[in-house]
Amino acid sequence: MTRYPSRRIAIALLIVVLAVLPAFVHSDYLLSLVDTAGIYAIVVMGLGILLGFAGQLSLAQAAFLGIGAYTSGWLTTNLGWPAWPSMGVAMALSALVGFVVGYPCLRLSGHYLALATIGFGIITQLVLINWKSVTNGSDGMGNIPAPQIGSFVFDTYGRYYYVVLVAVIACAYVGWRIKTTRVGRALEAIRENEIAARATGIDATRYKIIAFVLAGTYAGLAGSLLAHMTKFISPDSYSFDQSVVFLVMLIVGGSASISGAILGAVLLWFLPEVLRPLKTSYIMVYGAAVIAMIIFMPRGLVGVFETLRSRFARRGAA
Amino acid sequence: MHFDPVANLQLLVSGLAFGSIYALVALGFVLIYNAVGVVNFAQGEFVMFPSYIAVTFLLPATTVFGTIVHWQLPIVGVYLLVLVLMVGFGLLFNRIAYHPLRDRGWMPVVISTIGVSIFLRNAAQLIWGSQPIVMPSLFAVDTISIGPLHISPQDLLIIGVTAVLIAFQFFLFERTTLGKQMRATAQDRATARLVGVRVGRIVAITFVYSALLGTISGLLVAPLFTVTKEMGALIALKAFAASIVGGFGSIPGAIIGGLAIGVIETFGGFYISSAYVDAIAFIILISVLLVRPQGLFGERVAEKA
Repeated sequence: MTRYPSRRIAIALLIVVLAVLPAFVHSDYLLSLVDTAGIYAIVVMGLGILLGFAGQLSLAQAAFLGIGAYTSGWLTTNLGWPAWPSMGVAMALSALVGFVVGYPCLRLSGHYLALATIGFGIITQLVLINWKSVTNGSDGMGNIPAPQIGSFVFDTYGRYYYVVLVAVIACAYVGWRIKTTRVGRALEAIRENEIAARATGIDATRYKIIAFVLAGTYAGLAGSLLAHMTKFISPDSYSFDQSVVFLVMLIVGGSASISGAILGAVLLWFLPEVLRPLKTSYIMVYGAAVIAMIIFMPRGLVGVFETLRSRFARRGAA
Repeated sequence: MHFDPVANLQLLVSGLAFGSIYALVALGFVLIYNAVGVVNFAQGEFVMFPSYIAVTFLLPATTVFGTIVHWQLPIVGVYLLVLVLMVGFGLLFNRIAYHPLRDRGWMPVVISTIGVSIFLRNAAQLIWGSQPIVMPSLFAVDTISIGPLHISPQDLLIIGVTAVLIAFQFFLFERTTLGKQMRATAQDRATARLVGVRVGRIVAITFVYSALLGTISGLLVAPLFTVTKEMGALIALKAFAASIVGGFGSIPGAIIGGLAIGVIETFGGFYISSAYVDAIAFIILISVLLVRPQGLFGERVAEKA
């Protein structure tokens, strides 16, 4: 990053713009969409660390989202805990489950790992539906409180926006740090060639578990954030289809970078909104758009931006 | 609970029927995987979409795009029509979802098959609405009695048709030039091309064959449930699990894995828990992956792609 002082300025500018954004958005509905986009960006960044950095495919992100959401929901409504410590426990529990599931599963790779994680996701959702004494089954859980600092309650979408923004920035920062340090290089080596990575002394199993636990933790945090925002959770939001949506967001954005993960999450979250005038056919068009994007943008949105930037730079030099 | 041989035999037949469906869909997965090295996430839609087309022409009246139509045709004509349409569908699928991405590794193809799946499910909802549709059964009675057994004729039909298709599969791969070309393409594309196999055409045929296997499973299973846009998704996931339990890439593995999952699931749902019946396939899957990752009949590699 030090090689690009202009990039630091750009990031600082972006944060300032994001910080004042709610002042210009007056629609509550639009703000709720923006908040959710940020939360999904966190899930997709987690998946980006696992798939983009380490090359391991998981289709269980929605299950970790559910674990985070239900941990927060249960602690606040059954034990009367405040929101912040519930978020912490939600993250810790997701990390723990990530470790317990990841440890045996990461002996597998590729399609096999994908399927094992699909199985874990489906079992998790069935537990959420059927463990009625804890999860309240299909009826879901309501009255989950919003977080507060002193007497300031983050109970509107405009206020909650800042909770999400801080979380997104923190997660993006952690992601960037991981990519540029020893862990990131180890993960990249594993992605490119696991056998060679092991030969150079990288403890591949350990690093893959770190990536899996991080992906779970990100999703757990996101689930908790979602629960405290919507105040109501039910098992149907944590389906296999939802995990697939996260995967598509990452691939369309560009899987090997944090900015790609954020871009993909935000763009694909808003795409159905843009397509909504098409009424009932909009999800169908969304499906077609996904195919078109994967065919025509091989490196995702990030790749498109990089191409545009290099063209622009060349023109500037001439 | 005392052991009741009649009830257990009935469960076995029903389990084998479900298992046959998983086996046919799993076979579709494995053939595509062997030919192009990619798991097709739209395999469930190969089951769902033809079922919708079939009910449109089987029922005296169906709703298409919100208007009631009366397109009832003789049943044999309907089956032929659906099979012909699905040949076109398989070719189109190959052309759009696989062909443009064939040199880009497995992940982009997986995403594009996911795109097709989203597209088809919502196209189905747009065309036929969200109400489940009942497909009429070929049989006038729900059960027939063989001695003390009460067995669904539809279950017997499913098992019979599957047996014929499996026999056909072995005939195709062992005795015909086309089957040998398909096997050669699966084993080593480059060498297959060198000895004159037109690999692109074989891949297209594989997609068509796989779509037809899905179609037949759909036509067989739909009378047991209802036709909905979600009907293929869970069948496909369990069939995928079955193909891994059997050993991914192995054709006998897919068939035996499918039958095993169908039977274990039916008994598990009856004796253990009906609420968790859909988890059983995945619990078996995860156990097999952990104990014997190559599956029952698989090669000793955890991932060959």
